[in-house]
Amino acid sequence: MSIQTFFPRFIAGLLLLVLFTSCFKDVDFSQTEDIQITPDIDVDIIYYDLNKVDFLDSDTGEFTAIIRDTVRLEYLDDSYIQDGLTYAEFRFRHENSFPYEIRSELNFLNARNRKEFDVNYIIPAGSDTVISVIDTIHIVQGSNIDEVKNSIELAVELELLEPSKSLEGNLKFLSKGLFRLTF
Amino acid sequence: MRVAIVLLIFFYWSSVSGQNKPLLYNVDDLPQALLQNPGARIDFTRHFGIPLFSQIHVGVGSTGVTAKDIFEDDGRNINARIQSAIRNLTSSDFFTINEQIEIVSFGWKMGERGYFSAGAYQEADIFAYFPSDPAKLAFEGNADYINRPFRFDDVSFTGEVLTVYHAGFNYKMDSKLTVGGRIKLYSGIFNVESTDNDGTFVTNETPGGVNFYQHAVNGLDIVVNTSGYASLRDEENMTVDKAAAELLSRSFFGQNIGVGVDLGFHYRVTEQFSVNAAIQDFGVMFHQKDIENSRYFGSYETSGLQPLFPELNPGQETIPYWDVLEEELDVNLKDEKTYGAYNTWRPLKYNASIQFGTGKSILPCDYLISKKPRYMNLFGMIVSGVNRPKGPTYGVTTYWDRKVNDYFRFRVAYGLDQFSLTKFGVMASSRFKNFNAFLAVNDIIGYTNLANAHSASLQLGIQYVFKDL
Repeated sequence: MSIQTFFPRFIAGLLLLVLFTSCFKDVDFSQTEDIQITPDIDVDIIYYDLNKVDFLDSDTGEFTAIIRDTVRLEYLDDSYIQDGLTYAEFRFRHENSFPYEIRSELNFLNARNRKEFDVNYIIPAGSDTVISVIDTIHIVQGSNIDEVKNSIELAVELELLEPSKSLEGNLKFLSKGLFRLTF
Repeated sequence: MRVAIVLLIFFYWSSVSGQNKPLLYNVDDLPQALLQNPGARIDFTRHFGIPLFSQIHVGVGSTGVTAKDIFEDDGRNINARIQSAIRNLTSSDFFTINEQIEIVSFGWKMGERGYFSAGAYQEADIFAYFPSDPAKLAFEGNADYINRPFRFDDVSFTGEVLTVYHAGFNYKMDSKLTVGGRIKLYSGIFNVESTDNDGTFVTNETPGGVNFYQHAVNGLDIVVNTSGYASLRDEENMTVDKAAAELLSRSFFGQNIGVGVDLGFHYRVTEQFSVNAAIQDFGVMFHQKDIENSRYFGSYETSGLQPLFPELNPGQETIPYWDVLEEELDVNLKDEKTYGAYNTWRPLKYNASIQFGTGKSILPCDYLISKKPRYMNLFGMIVSGVNRPKGPTYGVTTYWDRKVNDYFRFRVAYGLDQFSLTKFGVMASSRFKNFNAFLAVNDIIGYTNLANAHSASLQLGIQYVFKDL
């Protein structure tokens, strides 16, 4: 074979060899079935900052020991929560300078207004100089996760216990949720 | 000595920096060289491409990740590898797919110094930067990124399918200088563009604030322009196959047009040494039909919902806090569809090279043709690049081009670019009588295992190339 015919055949052969032997090695594309997206979403829920006015009737000015409100949390009904929620970690923090203990109820309600789960505790009394802090973490996971998925409203109830002293003070509330999703 | 210097330059520059279609650049007996540089020095008098087969080009690349990085069969969990890839990729990493098919190609010598060439090719070009921050937000959430803004300007991508009609003229000014230009008419089939986006999303800790965090969308402004898409989407029972068929049916006369030029020159500094440069696709597309643009914009901050503990009568509903929030979101974070015309620049490509020839020869079969002596070995270096939304992509390729005889030449090349530091390429061009076939494979190491390759490109074609008296 002359060099003039050898080179063309060699190069063409080499290129064809490369092209036809090219392949995907050491990979397993069936792993696509195992791909999971697992975002951890950390989000504020509700907050409030109350003072004595919030415990007085706006018409009569009389003291009201119990106040309550309800907040819809529509996102708990969204598909990404319904389909993907595996873990929820709630953090609730009260900072109390009222000179009373305060009973706090946080009731997560479903669409039929039934309680799915709750976080209830007594907030210790504080003062002008020493603010009483109670910081609570509530974790819902495993088979209990449906309690969160079924919830749609957060009902908040506060009761000032033994309000015989001055009504001066503040009650501050902060809350957030860490939602771990898996798709 | 000269060879030594050339080799020194060759290997020096090989270690410096690389990209494009360099294996066909400066190949003076291939008509495709005129598509790279309309002012290229050429060595043929007529050409006629086999329709649809005169050049098929496919190039894909990914700067930051390979298939093996994600799908390696090593027993580890794929999700750990994906997370690792997302954390390692930056918003400067990009993915690109470029495809060209020459539909028709022809040309002939005009007078003593001119060469006219024309044709049409279909091109698809997709280019996307890795949307680093949005990907982290989607895959990992915000929990590990408190106080760190997610930037929406990481979202930047373009995609287009078009047919290009072109006509060019190559003119030898004198024995040293050859210049050329090509006019292009673009027929747009499909376009999508989202660049120059802005805005951030951040979750800030707020010690002493009303709640633990403040979630803020600041200065969001994301625009996605499309042409040739709305009609596909609105078509009933549209499938991928039907969409592809519809796009193909638009191949010859798309709905949107554009114009552009290629310009280039080749200058022989000495008999052996030459320099040349060219720009391609200095052009603009005017998108005026089948337009649908989406814009998402605004700013908003929230720390959650604030119950106000209203005094309610029995049976009375409380304040619809969630509805109020949604209304505020609607007012402050807007989305709108517009249908106005828009323009896009075509991705400007540029090449510049130096070339040094050794092994002077007048081939026996060519001695009747009045032309300058040829050099059997050509050493060259090409700097090439493509303008992209966040700046040019670039590369340097060095090559040894060997003309074995008048019927066969090959080129071996080594290049560096943003995809790879070991980009070896091989091109072979063979002529049997007037029938030419060429094949060029770049990043040849990658072909041994495509899973581990950051890029791969291939050009091949068959055509008639005449070197008449």
